[in-house]
Amino acid sequence: MERIEQFIEQWLPYITKASIETFQMVSVSLVISIIIGIPLGVLLVLTRPGQAWENNFIYQVLNVLINIIRSIPFIILLFFLIPFTKAIVGTTIGVRGVIVPLVVYTAPYLARLLETSLLEVDEGVKEAYQAMGIKTHQIIWHVILREARSSIVLGLTIVTVGLIGATAMAGLVGAGGLGDLAYRFGHIRYEVDVMYATVIILIIIVQTIQTIGNKLAAYLKKD
Amino acid sequence: MITLENVSKTFYTKKGQVDAVKNVNLKIKKGEIHGVIGHSGAGKSTLIRCVNLLERPTSGKVYIGEDELTALNKTALQEKRKKIGMIFQGFNLLKTATVYDNIALPLQLTGVAKDEIPKRVDQYIDIVGLSERKNAYPAQLSGGQKQRVAIARALALEPEILLSDEATSALDPETTESILDLLLKINREFGITILLITHEMHVIQRICDSVSVMEDGEIVEQNRVADIFIDPKHPTTKKFLNTLNEEQINQFLLSELAEKGSVFRLTFTGATTSEPIIALLSQQYDVKPNIIHADVTQLKDGVIGRLVIHLDGDQSDVEKALTFLREQGVGIAAWEVA
Repeated sequence: MERIEQFIEQWLPYITKASIETFQMVSVSLVISIIIGIPLGVLLVLTRPGQAWENNFIYQVLNVLINIIRSIPFIILLFFLIPFTKAIVGTTIGVRGVIVPLVVYTAPYLARLLETSLLEVDEGVKEAYQAMGIKTHQIIWHVILREARSSIVLGLTIVTVGLIGATAMAGLVGAGGLGDLAYRFGHIRYEVDVMYATVIILIIIVQTIQTIGNKLAAYLKKD
Repeated sequence: MITLENVSKTFYTKKGQVDAVKNVNLKIKKGEIHGVIGHSGAGKSTLIRCVNLLERPTSGKVYIGEDELTALNKTALQEKRKKIGMIFQGFNLLKTATVYDNIALPLQLTGVAKDEIPKRVDQYIDIVGLSERKNAYPAQLSGGQKQRVAIARALALEPEILLSDEATSALDPETTESILDLLLKINREFGITILLITHEMHVIQRICDSVSVMEDGEIVEQNRVADIFIDPKHPTTKKFLNTLNEEQINQFLLSELAEKGSVFRLTFTGATTSEPIIALLSQQYDVKPNIIHADVTQLKDGVIGRLVIHLDGDQSDVEKALTFLREQGVGIAAWEVA
């Protein structure tokens, strides 16, 4: 009992700080990834042959680009993007410095998952709305994204969990976070308890996110 | 109301060129129900999709009223489409929306005034008889109920035309009847012109004023429904007519009878339905009529009586009897033993 109290007293500030950093990194890059990834996913579906904005050139370029980015492991992307990151946010270290690579890593992944979700939407429903004289941009929002919403939520859940994993490497550019805490104290300084504590926290976070995602998706499904 | 002029549609696929619709001409009057019947692959689905340009014809013109649809730009076409409702075999409802929202959303998106929407939705939910299920999701409805929602959705935009793409094909016979009654009701009450496609002669018989028979991308026969029942010309038309009630006739008996006499199918319409023509036949001519099968079919307007009859007698007497029948306006077709 005493040992636990002592552990909490000693490590709680570190764990709290690391949790906040992880939360910041995940939430900010998730929001930016959604802003970029969703239009990208929509574009990836609608430029396909036979779709509303059919354009083979755009489709192929996006397709190849996404594949290229998705082939690079995050840890390599992190260093590979240093000049780009510097140009965009003015720094390559700290939470700010890691957001850019996290977004570059996540947005194409989200776009890919979204593509799968949107392709599941029944062609017939889109057609019914076209036949009613509804404009394409209205169909995208009110029909395609709406009908795919349950599947999109599941995709977002997968992306979020992936993001949490990627932030573990953010310590390499001094952005901190739970992964970094486990690595620096748990692994390098042999503070095994810190390692266990962080792992347990991460498990709880991931379980919670997945459960919320599943519940929300089931609620939104309606069929 | 709907005019198709030399409409053709060709698809270019990896396997080669498919002429789905070939040079079709069609004129449908305002307030009429016109049916296009054909087997699957006959091109009828492509044809109906050419009417609202879901499928753009390779050549030919489509007119709705005075406007040439095929000449409109995208925006003008979208505007015009609001007045052309369409229902589908697969219903095509939003799974994530309630009955109410499925009908309300298109109204909202086409710019119907906000305070007008609830009134209209309620009005049309009521017409299709689903007031009780207003807040249900499509997954909680039966096929027939889903099609009713789809009909209400189309009607709520107050179209002049309703296109029906095999709307009853996925439904059981009883539900089909109720949907056909509903289509008949909206045609009569709102004067909406309906173009429907189907592979069931029963649908044509029940609600259509006129019919086109389609085969291999072409319209092979076109007539008023009553006339097509009396005097079908194309073999495909005859085949479709045979699908009605055929199964009730004993084929074995027929082939036996055909050996000692002739079997005919007689079709009566209008006044001839109420006269005792068969009784007169045996009195005036030396033939013995034997009724093998009889039924009365209700058409949209009027009744059609059909008899399968065996005439026993001399060749010349039979001929005389047939002439008499023709003079009475009875449709006659020799029975071909299957």
